[in-house]
Amino acid sequence: MTPQQREEADVTNAPLVEAPAGTVAGEVVLRLTDVVKTFPGVRALDGVQLEVRAGEVHCLLGQNGAGKSTLIKVLAGVHRPDSGEVEWRGRPAAFANPQTAMRAGIATIYQELDLVDDLSVAENAFLGHEPRRIGFVRRGQTARRTRQILTRLGHPEIPPGRLVRHLPAAGKQIVSMARALSHEARLIIMDEPSAVLAHDEVANLFRIIRELAAQGIAVIYISHRLEEIREIGDRVTVLKDGRTTAANLPARDTPTRDLVARMTGRTIEYVFPPRPAGEVDGAELLRVDGLTRTGEFADVSLSVRAGEVVGIAGLVGSGRSELLETIYGARRAHAGTVRMDGRPLRPGSVGAAVRAGMGMAPEERKSQALLLGEPIYRNVTLSTFGRYARLGFTDAGRERDAADRIADSLELRPRDVRRPVRTLSGGNQQKVVVGRWLLGGTRLLLLDEPTRGVDVGARAELYQVIRALAARGVGVLLVSSEVPEVLGLADRVLVMWEGRVVREAPAGELDENTVLDLVMAGSLMEGAPA
Amino acid sequence: MTETTPTAPPQRSAGLPAQSPPVDPAETAKADARARLSWWRGDGGEGARRNLGLLATLVVLVVIGILTRPDLYGDASWVWGNTLTILKLASVVGVVTVGMTFVIIGGGIDLSVGAIVALAGVWCTTVATQSYGAGGMIFSALTVGLAVGVVNGLLISYGRLVPFIATLAMMVAARGLAAEISDKQTQVSDNQFINGIASTNVLGIPLLVYILAAVVLAGWVLLNRTTFGRRTVAVGGNPEAARLAGINVRRHTLLLYALSGLCCGIAAVMLTAQATSAQAAMANLYELDAIAAAIIGGTLLSGGRGTIVGSLLGVIIFSTITNLFAINGLSTEAQNMVKGGIIVVAVLVQQVQFRSLTQFLARNRATTA
Amino acid sequence: MSSDLSRRRLLFGGAALSAGVVLAGCTSNEQAPTAAQTKAAAAGANSEPGKKVTIGFSAPAADHGWIAAITNNAKAQAAAYSDVELKAVEAGADAAAQRATLSTLLSQRPDVIVLLPHDGKELNAFGLEAMKAGIPVVNLDRAFPDAKAYRLQIKGDNYGMGVAAATYMIEQFKAKGVSKPIIGEIAGMDELELTQERSKGFSDTLAQAGFKVTNRRAARFTADSGQQEATGLFQALPKIDAIWNHDDDQGIGVLAAVNQANRKEFFMIGGAGSKKAMEDIQADNTVLKATVTYSPSMASSAISLARLIGQNKGMSDLVELQVPKEIVLASETITKENAGSYLKLGF
Repeated sequence: MTPQQREEADVTNAPLVEAPAGTVAGEVVLRLTDVVKTFPGVRALDGVQLEVRAGEVHCLLGQNGAGKSTLIKVLAGVHRPDSGEVEWRGRPAAFANPQTAMRAGIATIYQELDLVDDLSVAENAFLGHEPRRIGFVRRGQTARRTRQILTRLGHPEIPPGRLVRHLPAAGKQIVSMARALSHEARLIIMDEPSAVLAHDEVANLFRIIRELAAQGIAVIYISHRLEEIREIGDRVTVLKDGRTTAANLPARDTPTRDLVARMTGRTIEYVFPPRPAGEVDGAELLRVDGLTRTGEFADVSLSVRAGEVVGIAGLVGSGRSELLETIYGARRAHAGTVRMDGRPLRPGSVGAAVRAGMGMAPEERKSQALLLGEPIYRNVTLSTFGRYARLGFTDAGRERDAADRIADSLELRPRDVRRPVRTLSGGNQQKVVVGRWLLGGTRLLLLDEPTRGVDVGARAELYQVIRALAARGVGVLLVSSEVPEVLGLADRVLVMWEGRVVREAPAGELDENTVLDLVMAGSLMEGAPA
Repeated sequence: MTETTPTAPPQRSAGLPAQSPPVDPAETAKADARARLSWWRGDGGEGARRNLGLLATLVVLVVIGILTRPDLYGDASWVWGNTLTILKLASVVGVVTVGMTFVIIGGGIDLSVGAIVALAGVWCTTVATQSYGAGGMIFSALTVGLAVGVVNGLLISYGRLVPFIATLAMMVAARGLAAEISDKQTQVSDNQFINGIASTNVLGIPLLVYILAAVVLAGWVLLNRTTFGRRTVAVGGNPEAARLAGINVRRHTLLLYALSGLCCGIAAVMLTAQATSAQAAMANLYELDAIAAAIIGGTLLSGGRGTIVGSLLGVIIFSTITNLFAINGLSTEAQNMVKGGIIVVAVLVQQVQFRSLTQFLARNRATTA
Repeated sequence: MSSDLSRRRLLFGGAALSAGVVLAGCTSNEQAPTAAQTKAAAAGANSEPGKKVTIGFSAPAADHGWIAAITNNAKAQAAAYSDVELKAVEAGADAAAQRATLSTLLSQRPDVIVLLPHDGKELNAFGLEAMKAGIPVVNLDRAFPDAKAYRLQIKGDNYGMGVAAATYMIEQFKAKGVSKPIIGEIAGMDELELTQERSKGFSDTLAQAGFKVTNRRAARFTADSGQQEATGLFQALPKIDAIWNHDDDQGIGVLAAVNQANRKEFFMIGGAGSKKAMEDIQADNTVLKATVTYSPSMASSAISLARLIGQNKGMSDLVELQVPKEIVLASETITKENAGSYLKLGF
């Protein structure tokens, strides 16, 4: 009974780092203290600290699901925090809606730019606060002021009258910034602005950001590309699972390893069930050969044996989720084959995969796996209710009995299977999804980020469940961006980077640092071509 | 992750249902009692409450009738006859609404129902069809309804057209085809069996009401007690989740529109019998009546939730309003305004209930967290 | 009064829908040219083949039997003359579409244009344009507001229909000695002006005799709506003395409702004058005892008169050397007694 315990890495044991003040000269414009925001079932923000000074570029670093988007929305007035303090320019602030935030001087440039394609550049820049006189928009003045702002942004060549539809992605971003400046913004929040830009466009974007900072405007810059943060950032705050794990680190000098560890590392020790001794020698269940989806992943080959847990480590965008969905038939492969028990599966057919004994717990539980308003038992039996039916007539009693057994074995809370799934916590919702496939007698389980949004206690339980499944001969293919999770849970590990498998080895032969390097390889190489 | 894994059994065995746990008879009895208690609610207390609200609305309408026409309501035989008339009036739209309810719960919409009724009605009253007798007429009406429904379904599920567009196009096309077949003429049904459907009473109750009851009952069973109904809720509630759970969403979508078309075929026979004729302009705006009835009956327009009983009550409320306006000699315009008002109120109530429910849940979570 | 009425500027919004064609017995769906109402070229100077006349014809795409009858009648009447060439163009779905096809017609320069507009007001400008170009325009049923926009206007009398129905009803009440009659009215589509005119003629005339409509329901010129509204009417009125139903087409449904409700205590008057209604009246085995006409035969007359205009002739029975400018057809009352002679005009 000695569970394998993972030691906390040094970096994450360190207390919250406060960088020495003075690296940035400006006064503090924004200060967040212990901000908490919950949604039904999820604690999206769980104690966020943030301090932004005038004239600095403050980088916000964190994986998908770390709470960055929620944090932005709190600042933009879309969400109101449940507790904690937001201080804006020295005074406590609560932005009731996006308009209030905007009037206060906070402008947000979302990743999917919220421009109206069929309005002109000027109309977009001044959307909602057009210069007007007795109800009539003063087009001339709008155009003139837009031109001034565009000049200030270093892009006087963009015609204010051009429809935004006809601008390239970079141009649209400039318009978004122009809109921010048209509001006299004191703080501009940019959500992964470089994601849509080509390399030289990024350079131009950085030039503009520097100029804005020089004018005393504070910028919150969100990205998970480390090299960008190195280049443009002054200070870095790292979020993980809705918490600030590090605040105000110097953007240029903090070692990459520290940042990555704080981003992906554990905030609390995980308890992984032990692996059985010896090689897994079950029959080969799944065989994937040369699977390719152009633009997502290429030439992936792998296999899973009965009773084996295979982990795929990789960041968002490495193609890991797409790979899993393609194996499952939810996406159609452009090349390659998927075999189950040696027989090829019909491509692009989830039904065929399920009949062959596959089951998947997708990444987005709520939007991809659950009927939130329906009772627990109906979610558990979603892929098996036909089995409990006689001549097409469902048998709710038998379904509930079956769901009860699953609920017992997974220690579902609350235990009443008639409650709507909506009322469950993230971990328990995940149990419902896994339970669905347990009930189905699934022999190969595909798990995409099974512990996202799941609290620590429930995680340990989920790990137990996964290990116990493997002990019963179920093959598991697991995707996670948390490297320790993959290493702790899997028998064999594949590392994906940019759509390719860059390393495959038994979990015992890999250590966290090696995997982290591989996972981040793209970032490192882009930052410093070596 | 370099340390080797010590061999030890799991800390706590996550007991999997390989061997089902011993069944406690007392527990089973309790579960049975729970199941019995809630059978009529179909696992949805919320739906039952809403249906009570609809019944209350119905009572209010009857009270208004009593207050405005005490002379008529004083006559018991008139009241009974009037009740049957209201149900008869509701029967055709009611059958269409059952199909529509399935389509909407399944996440779609069918704007072509009125046109399908007209096409099936016209088709089954052509001279050629009438020569095959009542059986041939009924068969052709049902087949035409089903076939048009299947075309709708194919366009939407495999042709990937938006339901609104596909069925809008079908609405125009089916009426056009009906006009073409009938040459814009009113086709009189000379078949006494067909015409008799609307004038026959069994045990004092019109045959049309039995047909409505049968379709509603079949619809209720189909929705609440079969795998088809379960798939409908899943496909409408979260199509992605249904797909990833291995449900064939496309095929099911196709079946939903086919079902709606079949209901229209049944309705076409009933309406042809009532009017003893059919023409391309018949069943005017039935799509709106059916959608409105389903919505005030509590069916969520975005799919995933709805009840057959609610839809039936919605239809009956509308036909009661029509009746109320007729017996008071009030104009159709005023009637339409009241109908519109009721739809708006019903949807507002729906939204408020939904919002307060989510708020309640959020609060609940906040206090337990 | 009738000359007074004929000058009324009635706006016939959508007379197209005023009636439906019933093939009594419905022996075929083939377009067996429905006993088209043509006037055989009888002896007389006007029927002698004269100067060749090209007549342009435009009516809305038939969405109802009455319009179909209009087009059929026009074509059949034109075929009866050896000196008439008919150029029929599709009018499309609305006034704008009709205007477009008409301008093509205009460029072909026919001698006369016969036109049943989607909307008299909207196509007024076209009438003016054609007249200015020297092409006489015959307006069928839906009047142009501007007198300069047409050479001849020939139309039915909706107000007169109501008058005729009420007059027959009053006679019957007098004969039967009913002093306080309960009168039901099943109108056509209420949003159409022609329905309003018919109802006004009906209630005005009843009022002169001291009667009024007890309950009025508006159907939609279709049999199923007629059945529904009639059923409602029967619920409202446990005893009825008489009903006027505006349209014989929706009357099929009204009669079905009568059978279904098993009501026979009243008599009914129809409207428009379909063949089936006339046969029912003649057979005298239903509650339908009379109908008041609004006949699509006006299309046949319009072609005949267009030919005369093209040949610059007058109507031979009139003293005038030219065709008159305005002709309003009287609404006639068809009863058991005269049904036989009207049967050939039934559509």
